[in-house]
Amino acid sequence: MDYFEGKRRGKRREAAVVLSLMLIALFLFFLPSGYQAPIRGALRSTALRPFFAVQREIVERRALSVDVAELRARHDSLAAVAAAQATLAEENRRLRALLGLRARATENFKSAEVMRLGVPGAESSFLLDVGSADGVEVGSPVLTPEGLLGVVWEVDEHVSQAIDWTHPEFRASAMTLDGQVYGLVEPRRGQFREEDLLVLTGAPFHSDIRPGTRIVTSGRGGIYPRGIPLGSVVGIEEADTGWRKSYLVRPAVRPEAAMHVLVGIRRDRGGEGDLSNLWPVGGAPDTADAAVGEGADGDQP
Amino acid sequence: MTVSRAWTFWAFIALLVVLDFILHIAIGLGATAPDLLTVALLLAARRLSSAGAAALGLVFGLLRDALSLIAFGAEAVTMTLLGYLGARSKDYFLGEGMLFVAGYLFVGKWLHDIIYFLIAGPAVRGDTVTRLVIEAPIAAAYAAVAGTVAFLVYQLFTGER
Repeated sequence: MDYFEGKRRGKRREAAVVLSLMLIALFLFFLPSGYQAPIRGALRSTALRPFFAVQREIVERRALSVDVAELRARHDSLAAVAAAQATLAEENRRLRALLGLRARATENFKSAEVMRLGVPGAESSFLLDVGSADGVEVGSPVLTPEGLLGVVWEVDEHVSQAIDWTHPEFRASAMTLDGQVYGLVEPRRGQFREEDLLVLTGAPFHSDIRPGTRIVTSGRGGIYPRGIPLGSVVGIEEADTGWRKSYLVRPAVRPEAAMHVLVGIRRDRGGEGDLSNLWPVGGAPDTADAAVGEGADGDQP
Repeated sequence: MTVSRAWTFWAFIALLVVLDFILHIAIGLGATAPDLLTVALLLAARRLSSAGAAALGLVFGLLRDALSLIAFGAEAVTMTLLGYLGARSKDYFLGEGMLFVAGYLFVGKWLHDIIYFLIAGPAVRGDTVTRLVIEAPIAAAYAAVAGTVAFLVYQLFTGER
């Protein structure tokens, strides 16, 4: 009798422990993201630290294996461009001084290597081998030569985790290159990663953005400096009767292709920073996109 | 199980865990590498009490959640539940044969993906049918094959039957 009673009591105790563990897990799941971040950070800097160290080593070795001849060619090209523009920069500085304009705001960048994570739930995020010790902070923009890749989400001392534009919570204040239409860019996830697009929402209903028009960050909101390319308009996604339009945007950057990036380590608050001079986006709309977009646009009712 | 055998078994489980993190985090292989963490949990759960297996599941899930910006905690819930179910499976199914282990790992991993999909919800890409009826069984078969081979190697080295 005592034997069965003891066994029953043991089973009850075990069920209580399992139930408590389930409640802890559910509590963590429903915890606001602000409280989840320190737990993630603690786990990353303790139990998972050796694995990040190995990954950093692998990424560094991969970066070192880049063809020297290719690097030399790039260096020569950049040296030629720098030499040609040295006088222009001086001339520009003198003219701005003559006109009483203050110096153009600039962004300080830190180059970084992208480290991919192959675990569920980390699909739209990546690690960077720079952290708070390098001046990186939450909200620092992550750029590639093609445009905006994403934004830093969590920062440790030597590593930071960033989201790319496919993350459901990615948003960027945007405008057309000519500054005529302003809106908010957010992701539209497809069935597969390759189908992901951006959408410019909140554009005025009377606006008519032609396919191929380039979309850049507007600098509003103080997160991203002005003028970073986001993509090109493909066509209308939705016209909310009488109020506003949404446009599908083909992104300038494919996240899976990014390996080396630049991280902005000093943000100009209030949209003062203007990085539009860094990208050759001042020309006419992308004609290839326009051709595709007109086809897509024609399908819309 | 003797003390030395218990020691080698838990070393084998630890090796699977380390290997999983090397493949998924250090090398960043993603879906091309099998889910050895779930395999480790399922194998360990067969030798633990339900409370112990649930606790191990919670720890494993938290480690994996450490990198999740989309659905933090979803793996912790999934693995805790899976650990518990794995431990309870002893009450209904007995055996350590290779065919049983393969089937157990296949069903366990499929169940893991189903529970994770239901908990993480809209944060997970893809529609329900594609995820649960096409992708999940393929991932489960891959994990089952990898886990069975690893377990076979473990048995060959230790002479355990």
